[in-house]
Amino acid sequence: MDASSHGGSSQPIQVPHVPCLGCGCACDDIVLTVREGRITAAEHACPLGVAWFGDGSVPGAVRVDGREASLTEALDAAAALLDGARGRVLVFLGGDLTCGAQGAALALADRLRAATDGLVSDAAAEGFLAGQRRGRATATLGEIRNRADLVVFWGVDPELRYPRYRSRYATTPSGLHLRRGERNRVVVSVSVGADVGPPDTDLRLELAPEQEVAALAELRARLLGRSLGAAAGLPAGLADLAEQLVKAKYVAIVHDGEPGAERRSPERAEGLVALAQALNGPTRAALSTLRGGGNRSGAEATITWQTGFPFAVDFSRGAPRYRPDRRAAELLAGGALSAALVAGSPASVPVALHRELGQVAVVAVGPKASEAPFTTRVAIDTGVAGIHEAGLGYRMDEVPLPLQAVLPGPRAARDTLQQLGDRLARPLVEAGR
Amino acid sequence: MSPPSRLRIVGGTVHDPANGVDGEVRDVCIEDGRIVAQVPPGSPALDARGMVVMPGGVDIHSHVASSACNHARRLLPEEHAARPMAAPRLEPGQEPGRSGTGGTLPSTFTTGYRYAGLGYTTVFDAAVAPIQARHTHAEFDDTPIVDGGFFVLLGNDEFLLRQVETGERARARDYAAWMIGATGGYAIKLVNPGGVQAWKSGQRNITQIDQPLGSTRITPRAILETLTDAANDLGLPHPVHIHCNNLGVPGNAVTTLDTMGALAGRRAHFTHLQFHCYGMGKERGTGWSSEARQVMDLVNANPLLSVDVGQVMFGPATTLSADGPVEYLLHASSGRKWVNVDVELETGCGVVPYRYEERASISALQWAMGLELFLLAADPWRVVLSTDHPNGGSFESYPALIRLLMDRSVRDAQLKRVNPRLLAGSALADGLSREYTLNEIAIITRAGPARLLGLRHKGHLGIGADADLTIYSRDRDLARMFSTPRFVIKGGVVVVEEGQLRRAPAGRRLRLRPGHDSAVIRELRRHFESYGTIAFDNFPVRGLRDAPLELG
Repeated sequence: MDASSHGGSSQPIQVPHVPCLGCGCACDDIVLTVREGRITAAEHACPLGVAWFGDGSVPGAVRVDGREASLTEALDAAAALLDGARGRVLVFLGGDLTCGAQGAALALADRLRAATDGLVSDAAAEGFLAGQRRGRATATLGEIRNRADLVVFWGVDPELRYPRYRSRYATTPSGLHLRRGERNRVVVSVSVGADVGPPDTDLRLELAPEQEVAALAELRARLLGRSLGAAAGLPAGLADLAEQLVKAKYVAIVHDGEPGAERRSPERAEGLVALAQALNGPTRAALSTLRGGGNRSGAEATITWQTGFPFAVDFSRGAPRYRPDRRAAELLAGGALSAALVAGSPASVPVALHRELGQVAVVAVGPKASEAPFTTRVAIDTGVAGIHEAGLGYRMDEVPLPLQAVLPGPRAARDTLQQLGDRLARPLVEAGR
Repeated sequence: MSPPSRLRIVGGTVHDPANGVDGEVRDVCIEDGRIVAQVPPGSPALDARGMVVMPGGVDIHSHVASSACNHARRLLPEEHAARPMAAPRLEPGQEPGRSGTGGTLPSTFTTGYRYAGLGYTTVFDAAVAPIQARHTHAEFDDTPIVDGGFFVLLGNDEFLLRQVETGERARARDYAAWMIGATGGYAIKLVNPGGVQAWKSGQRNITQIDQPLGSTRITPRAILETLTDAANDLGLPHPVHIHCNNLGVPGNAVTTLDTMGALAGRRAHFTHLQFHCYGMGKERGTGWSSEARQVMDLVNANPLLSVDVGQVMFGPATTLSADGPVEYLLHASSGRKWVNVDVELETGCGVVPYRYEERASISALQWAMGLELFLLAADPWRVVLSTDHPNGGSFESYPALIRLLMDRSVRDAQLKRVNPRLLAGSALADGLSREYTLNEIAIITRAGPARLLGLRHKGHLGIGADADLTIYSRDRDLARMFSTPRFVIKGGVVVVEEGQLRRAPAGRRLRLRPGHDSAVIRELRRHFESYGTIAFDNFPVRGLRDAPLELG
């Protein structure tokens, strides 16, 4: 969009304010040092960010059936393959694409009458479904930073997978309405089985996984001055927590939207949504859902505005249908598909899908497509969103950010997907039914 | 086939009120996307004999491209599942059409197709949080045909409130100018000034214009004055666009009249006025009544004020607003599902699905009050047709609304069906015989909003105007006439041909970049660095395709 890439100068160049897609925090204070076309330092980046940027080198290969090929050859082969499988295609939105590239992949899915899926874990899907039943009470991360005087980490310590969440958004920084940062906040850690909360908090609670849903219900009941009574075995600290929740001016409940160590009940997502909503009677509260990187939140935003649904959209009937009950894993295992387009980084595709993807003809267009961990018929390497490609990306709280092209890279994913679209046969009957 | 760059529209009955043309049979000529005096003989012609020709519709207040819209879309899978929309069959040689879903919040492509399908060619999204402006541009990029712009939410933002508290009016003005330019916006929008900040701070809400925000000296009055003067001093083509405090609550007409009084002598636009004209009930125990006449009397008497109505139409709706406290109240009272998003340093956002029912007394009152506002308006140039889409109903109900305005018998028949409990003493129930003429419809849907927005090239068919036109077949069923234009032309391209959508060119972005004293940037940078979570340098939206419009 707005940045120009920094090429092969031998003098180191500093590129400021680079957003990082290493996790959903999308910290945009990274200062990259670029020298001779390589990233040599990523100041402010956490270990995840350092790993995500790497040195910025990516392959630029184009392969058809494992052989080097020209781009034209590969696009023709990919178009023929996908056209031939029309109606039996999966379009998978992998990581590290700009929203523009995600939109281009969805345009292909629309024309191919494909099923789609992406980096929406089962845990995240439960969150979407709960939100569709009840709504949600949430806030952008800056609001938590500036207001939350009570932060509850529910079954998650952000340290591991969202390393800068606390220092940038939740507990360390001072906020406009909380001038002294940590000293003005009460921080609570709720551990649920092996999903442990942070160790350094004002209040700690431990729940067995099977107690979690009951505990959420009990907290909600206590807001109304009741108790479920059946609180048998729930820790006594729960009553304290309920009191703290109501006393606070602005509560942030932080939970992991991605899979944790424990198997989770679908009612858990609903319990969290309901608790955060209910707290807005006596006080103010927001549920903050931690999400992974690679611009997955951007994919969800894009597919929502293009189709009306946040994931699992099936175009097979010529218009979007919502099939959260019929995801890529089921479709592939059920033999309903004969081809797949993986748009984005193949390395981000969940391992559970690798074997099944091997059973269908795969076209991969994205960063390191030529190194996909599954067999591909056509592989076209592209740049990485936010390293080689400028465009739009989203933070976990759906705040949009400008992704930069820091380095020159191979062909852009968006252009490549559009070129692929240009090669698809025009369907005889576009309007369908 | 590439669309002809020249076209003569032959023999239509032209309604072009901005140029004083009220139903004259004449040709309209187009060249390179603009209206021209003549095209050479032999140029392509479109036979419009017997048809009605108007400028393309201009929606001054809608919610079509924002993060709030996307929150609402995500909340409503059941609506989308019920309305799959196949891709339109477009002419070859362009990007293929896209499928989508309908309902009160259609997907973006469907939104563009449906607006154009109704003959609307320009749409403004009325509420965009500055930090979410990029999102709005991305949605507009995927909303074909219509030219789009948006209003920037100010008035609950921390930086502005601080300027209001310290009386730094000049800095507030520079800040507003910078914000419009940085976001690619078009006008200043106030939503419940101070009240959203109160909601976020635990004060819950502000209901009167002199009620202070917390322990500060900030009041809605001070915010309103500051931003109204800012817009007028900057010479913005559209004045402040105001969603008053206390929306949707019985007795709120007092707040609305106070707000209009506070801004007397200043240019200002009051939006979705219907939601702001409630009395406390003329009879004991009813609790709700219409004060539409009192409010419209004030509007009629004050030529600097303009309004859009925010008509309620019976059927499904989705309430969606930066007015977080109102959406909370609606959720708490209705038990319906609810989204709240507090937006850092700036504003709020709430969504609650809703349904207006003929048999529900408050719905019936709201429906009647909107019509009262239309029918009591003395100057159609200052009263714009809107449903506050999708809050009072979908934009797709505009044709039915036009029929209600043009045909008293349709109105009276519906009035007999609705719950009369709260209608005693309402002007509509007492009988308003006015019927809008075609020319007045052309004013409240096109010429008026274009003028109020300061869009000199829109809303009329004079030489040099954008060649955005709608051509209707006459039909005794006015709703059918307005819902199925025979032809729609956008920027000279025939997009609807014989009632079918055939072309879907990209729309343009309507935005401004007002000048300002650059000293404000230093202050802003400090503010961002202290409290923001994105880098100041990443805040402005860059790389937009269309250049800003000229000011003045």
